[in-house]
This record gives sequence, structure tokens and C-alpha cells, in this order.
Amino acid sequence: MKYRLFLYQCLRSKEVRISLLLITVLGIIGIVIGNRQLARQQEAIAEVKAYQEQHFERHVSLHNDDLGLLLYYVKFAFINPSNPLAGLSIGQADVNPVVKRITIKTFEAQKYDTDLVNPMNLQSGNLDLSFVLIFLLPLLAIVLTFNVISEETETGTWRLVAIQAKSKLGFILAKLSVRLLLLFGILVVLFVIAKLVLDIPLDANFLLLFVLTLLYVTFWFALSFFVISFKKSSGFNALLLLSIWLVMIVLLPAGINAYVSFKYPVPEALSAAIAQRDGYHTKWDMDKLATLKKFYAHYPQFREYGYPTEGFNWLWYYAMQQMGDDDSREEQAALLAKIKLREQTSRSMASLLPNMHVQLVFNQLAGTSSEQHIDFLNATEAFHEKLRLYFYPRIFEGDKAETIDWEQFVPEYHQTNTIIKPLWAIMPLLLATAFMALLSIPGARRL
Amino acid sequence: MKWANVRLFAWHFWHNATKPRTFYLLYLIFLLLAAYAAVSGIQNHIAQNDIRKFHQEKARQSWEANPDKHPHRMAHFGTFAFRVNPPLGMFDHGLESFTGNTVFLEAHRQNSVNFSDATFSTGTLRFGELSIALLLQLVLPLILFFIGFSGIAADRENGTLKIVLSQGANWLEMILGKSLGLCGVALLFVAPILLVVIVVLIGYGAEVESDLLWLRLLIIGLGYMLFLFIVSTVAIIVSASSNTPKNALLRLLGIWLLLVVLLPKSAQALGNYWYPTPSKLAFQSAIEKEKIQTGDSHNPDDPFYNQLRDSVLAVHKVSEVTDLPFNYSGFVMREGEKISSELYKKHHADLLDIYESQNNITRFLALVNPYMAIKQLSMTFSGTDFSSYVDFQEQADTYRYQLSQKMNELQMVYISPKKKSGSEGKTHVVGHEHWEEFPDFHHRPMAFGNSFKAALPALVSMIVWLLFIFWLMMFTSKKAKAI
Repeated sequence: MKYRLFLYQCLRSKEVRISLLLITVLGIIGIVIGNRQLARQQEAIAEVKAYQEQHFERHVSLHNDDLGLLLYYVKFAFINPSNPLAGLSIGQADVNPVVKRITIKTFEAQKYDTDLVNPMNLQSGNLDLSFVLIFLLPLLAIVLTFNVISEETETGTWRLVAIQAKSKLGFILAKLSVRLLLLFGILVVLFVIAKLVLDIPLDANFLLLFVLTLLYVTFWFALSFFVISFKKSSGFNALLLLSIWLVMIVLLPAGINAYVSFKYPVPEALSAAIAQRDGYHTKWDMDKLATLKKFYAHYPQFREYGYPTEGFNWLWYYAMQQMGDDDSREEQAALLAKIKLREQTSRSMASLLPNMHVQLVFNQLAGTSSEQHIDFLNATEAFHEKLRLYFYPRIFEGDKAETIDWEQFVPEYHQTNTIIKPLWAIMPLLLATAFMALLSIPGARRL
Repeated sequence: MKWANVRLFAWHFWHNATKPRTFYLLYLIFLLLAAYAAVSGIQNHIAQNDIRKFHQEKARQSWEANPDKHPHRMAHFGTFAFRVNPPLGMFDHGLESFTGNTVFLEAHRQNSVNFSDATFSTGTLRFGELSIALLLQLVLPLILFFIGFSGIAADRENGTLKIVLSQGANWLEMILGKSLGLCGVALLFVAPILLVVIVVLIGYGAEVESDLLWLRLLIIGLGYMLFLFIVSTVAIIVSASSNTPKNALLRLLGIWLLLVVLLPKSAQALGNYWYPTPSKLAFQSAIEKEKIQTGDSHNPDDPFYNQLRDSVLAVHKVSEVTDLPFNYSGFVMREGEKISSELYKKHHADLLDIYESQNNITRFLALVNPYMAIKQLSMTFSGTDFSSYVDFQEQADTYRYQLSQKMNELQMVYISPKKKSGSEGKTHVVGHEHWEEFPDFHHRPMAFGNSFKAALPALVSMIVWLLFIFWLMMFTSKKAKAI
């Protein structure tokens, strides 16, 4: 009975009803946008699967006699399929390509090639469900809670409560829990819609994502309780909570980001690009023997093809291409180390800030984090290496293109690892919520 | 309307707003944030440009260090174009972090512009970037709403409004006066920031060239003043038409959230939804398809190139390409480059049209959203907007084209016509002095005129907003009630 009254009281306010409706609508829009993103990725994958076969046919017919020349042109697709959760948290999937098409030439020159992207879209960011949950849900939590105590004093009912309620704290907590359950209800609705629209399997990752969202909302309720327990006016509470929202959601992440990119700039990316170019191109006017020796040092198994130094030959050509990768190893390693450092720094800072932490874990679960993209790049490199090792001997033998079974080269898929330790994902939120609860104890006693 | 009354309201509001201790706390926090944003902006600008300049030189050094060689090898050796961060980029980062920094330029291949900061970010970049512009666009309006929400609503609640109005002041004087007062408060926040920007530009900005830098800054400065005046007036008008300060605050916050977060994001999402970007494969294969149709220089039986060869032979009255007075391979490559570049340009222009259509939703929504207008204006005149990025891409591709054609011409002139192919090693080479002769890529800042053109919709909507806000003031002053 009490709870139904509380619910009625909460829903009586026009602002509350509008904001509840708004968050639901925005959540659905977010799901639709995520679905669209997934569909587009599926289209790109379907396209490349249909295209690859005719691409091979055309080049095989043009260069049947010259396998070396053929492999100068043909591209092999390697696909990073997105899992349905990527529709909830698009993360870095908008800037990183889903499909990589590579030749067996220098890998480094192809590694960081981007997709076609409109930078304005990247800047404004995606309006996916994760945005609604992480950025806007706290606002709703604030709207629902900021006057839970002050309203009673401002309308003069606090004295009645003080006399009639068994415990004032219990009374306030009951009021809050009704609101929290109301939000949970909306979240359940949104997640059910997401599950149906995006066809998400009911697995551990989806469950973890849902639990994280619930904990995240609970954290904001705890924070709000801390603020309102000072029994200031509604206006003051609203102002303070919104300022906290602004600082936590906008200013701190932006500041952390500015710090990370200023502390760890990545000139290594540019050095690696230049080293890669020089590694390959300068070999054209160097001693062929030296290039071949370097190549055999890397691949002793090909020594049998000897040291042809007269005129042009593909063995030497692909040895030169190989040098683009080999000669830029140092710079590449430096770049990767720098990226790791950036990752670690922002990750450890993020674990102190619930919203950043939740965003990063969401992306991890959805397979759209930058770390997973680096994994994909590494897998692409392995795929590239496999192609090289398959084709090198055939080119060096002077095989004809028709002797190769081209049908075996269908686009390959990368398996993204989205498994994370639930405890690690949940702990920062539990700690942050517990911390807020602890801070609230003196205020709760004074109620 | 009596100006004396307006002045009195303005001064009184300003005085009241800046008296409390909490104001100074807020002011101090804002200034500290601004200082942090300024320092990191300046350091990032300097570091990035140093990095890019260093690598541009490094790339050039290895270009020049090439020995005598076949010019086609140099066409593929290629070079890099590095984007230069404009001086005002330290003030407004705009799209800087989302556009690539460098592109590898080589013959008959248009590579993508790679290594944007967004690709090396953990995804937290999407929370926003701390820049002075962000503080002025996003945070300051919120602060002004916090200060201004009770401007008139509080007077109404405690009954002083009736007294003031009965003593001879009218509504218009009050609204205009208080808006100006709030705008005066905004000036307190803006003035030190602009001052710092000017000092920094004098100190460091001069190192990077920029077309009409000071005029750009002037327009940006005036733009922000106008924007903040609009924001201040909105705060006062909403306050005037709300019963209680709490209602006014809630409405203002709703407006802020709508204008600053929801509209910009949904506008871009809508554009993206309505005008989908083609996949890279679709884009590339469309070009490839057309290239095969017009002529494929790599196909020995290609009808287009066979016809070209026959006509060239006929003009020079010889029967073999080896009898021509110039190197025929170089000639074919020159023609091929011409065709493929035109094709690429055409398709790239189509792609840019799609992007423009996506962005146009944002651009037109600036008419209803002054925040989007100032954002566009600030980015564009800072030289960090979409048009500046396209401008860089075009400069880089033009340079790429010139480089390839220069190398093709060297091949035509200096490589023996008897030679059909083969570009490795020490035979059939061109002297290395030609490498130095070809100038290095130099990223020129976008011309002021082009920036102005790109910012025109934003400028127009700012002016429309100014007119609208005056109309709104009149309207509110007629409708408003004292109780």
C-alpha cells in the first residue's frame, strides 16, 4: 500500500513523466541506430563475400601466366564480425573497419588503412543505447531523486513524517527504492526490446551488461542520496547534482583524455610509416644479394630458391616487400607499446570513474573496444603471414595461377574474445556505491 | 523604453550575481579548467606540429637521398603529406582528433588519410574533448543558466516584481536590462580566455601560418559574445515566464540538454541514417569497374590503349613504339594517371556529397539551435572543420598528381624510347638532382574566403537568432504577468 502511494506520488509530477517517456524513446532510438549499424556491417561483409570470387576470376584470367604479378593485385578479405551486443555499444566500431582487404605485400603499409568515415559523425558520436544508459540515465536518476527529502520539507509534510513514520531513514529509503525499481522496470523494458530487435542471445555477456547497468543506476542513487541527505533546498540539490553530472560525465573524461593524448603522443605511428616505406622502396637500387640474404635470414626455408641477381624477378621483389615490414619492426613495436601504455593509463583512470569504466566494459563485452581492434590487427597480420607462406613458394616456383585452388580463399573470420572477469567488471561500481553509502551515514543519522 | 532603467537593471543584476561567495568559487573553478584546457591545448598543438614537421622533413630527406634511378620508382617511392594543426586549433580542436594526420602519396593510388587520434583512443574520446571552445560552448551556458534562472522568477515569488513594475519600470526594460547584466557576467568569463588566446597566439601562433588569423579571431570572439548574449536572454525570458525559480531551472536545463546534447547528436545520426556512407569496397570497386570500362593500362589487349598506341604511332609516322622520340611507357602512364585521377576525383566528389548531405542536417538545424551555429562558426574559423579537412585532402591529392606526372614526364624525356619496361637497378636512370628539384609538400592553411563561405550558414543563423531573440523579448514583455 505504502509503495503504491509512493509510486503514485512520484508519477504525479509532469517532469518525471516526461523524462521517463523521453528516456524510453531515446533508448529505442538508440537500439534502432545500433541495429542499423549492425545491418550496415553485415552488408559490407556480404558484399565482400560476393565480390571476392569475381575479383579472383578477373585477375586470374588477366595474369594466369604470372603469379607474381597476380599477387601484386589480388586482395584477400579478413573479417571482424560484430556480435549483436555491438549494436548496443558501438564503441570504436565506427572508426575501425570491419573488413580488411589485404595483399601479400608489406603488411605495415596496409595495417592502419581506415574505412570511409565522415569525421563529423565521429565527433558527434553514436546515439546508441550505451550513450543513453551512460550519459542520460544519470540525469533521470537525478530528476527522480533530487527532491525526495526537500519536497517533504518544502510542502510541510516532513513534520508529519517525523511523527508518524517508524524510521525517517526507512521512509526516505522506501521512497527512493520505489523510484529505483521504477527505473529498473524501464531498463528491463529497454533490454527486452534490445534483445528482440538485435537478436541478442541470452548469454553471460548480455546478463553482465544488464547487471552493470543496474549497478550503475544504483551508484547514481547512492550519490544522490548523499547529496540530498544534507537537507538543502530542491533547487540547491538539483544544481549540485547536475554540476556533479557535468563534471563526472563531461569534464573529467575529457580532461583525462586530454591528459593521455598529451602525455603519450604517438609520433611512432608516423615514424613506422616512413620506416616501412624506406624499408621496401630503397631496396630497388641496392644490391640484390644483400636483400635476398636478409630475406633468407627471416625465412631460411626458402634458401633453395637461390640468389638470382640478374634482371627483375619476383623472388627479389617480394623479398623487398618483406623488408617494408622487417625494417620497420622497431618503430612498429614502439608504436604498439605506446598504444598499450595509452590503454593502460586510461583504463586505470577509468576504474575510478564509474561512467568511463562502464563505457569501457560495455565496449569490451560488445567486442568494440580498441584493445580488441588491436587483437584483430594482430590476427590480420597472422592471416597475412599465412597467405605469404602459402604463396611465396608458388611464386618462386613460377607456378601458373590456374594450378591454385582459388575457391579455398573465401573471406576468413576473426574470433573476437569478449570474455571478461565479471568480478573485475563489477567491482569498481560496487566499491563506488559502497563508498557513497559510507559517506552518507552521517547524513542519514541526522535525518 | 528608458535606457536609464535598462542600465539600472543591468547593473543591479550584475552586482547581485557577482556578490555571493559561491560565484567566486564557480569563477575560480571555471578559470582553472580554462587554464588546464589552454595549457593542454597549447602543448598538444606545439607537440603535434613538431611531430608532423619533423616527419615531413624526415620523409623529405629520404626522398632526396635517393640515388639516380628510374623515375617510375620515384613515383612509387612517393612521399607523405602531413596535416598542419592551425594556430586556432589550440583554441577549438574541432575535428582534429577525428581526421587522419597523414597520407602516403604515390603514383596511381589514392591512399587513405590515416592515424587519427580517434583510432588510437580507447573510446573515451567520445565523452568529449576538453578545449577552451568546449568550455565556452557547453559549460558557460550552463553556468549562465544557473546564475540567471532566478533572475525574474525569484522576484515574482517573493513579490518584489509587483513593486518594481508599479514604480515605473516596464517589462521590456527589465528583460533587456537583466539579459545585458547576465551577458556582462558572461563577459567576466570570456574576457580572460580571449586575452589568453591572444597572448598565446602572439607567442606561439605566429609559427604556423594562417590566412588572416586576427580577423578569424575577431569573428570568433564576436560570435561567442553574440552566442552568450542569446543564452543570457533565453535564461531571463524563461525566468520571466516561469512561476517559480525551480520551474525556470528545470526548463532551462531541459533546453540545455536538448540544444547541446540531444539535437546535435540526433541531427548527425539522422544524416547518417538517411544518407548512408558506402562501404570502402563498394567505393573502390565502382572506381575499378569504370576504370576497366574506359581503359586498363595493365591489360595488354585493352582496346583503349591499343587505339591510343596506334594513333600515337600514326602521328609520329613510325611503326614501333621503340621508334618514338619519347619513352612510350612513360606516355601511357601519364595518360593512365590522368584518367584514373579524374575517375577517382569524380567518385570522391560523390562521396563528399554524401558526407555533405549528412552534415547538412546539422548545418540546417543550426537555424533552430544557436549552439550548433556557434560550434560550426568556431570550428570553421579556427580551421578545424570539415571543409578544412577536405581542403587538406585536396592539396595532398593535387600534390600527388603533380608528383606522378612529373615522374612520368621525366620518364618520357630521359628514359630511352628503346626501353619498354624494367625499372630496377642502375640501368635506365634519371639523375638524382631531379628529386631535389621537385618541391616538398607544403600544407597551406585554408583561405579565409573559403572558411567564410563554409561558415556562412552558421553566420546567417546567428544573425537570425539575434533578430528572433529581440522579437522574443518584445513578445514576452507583452505577455508576461507580474504575479
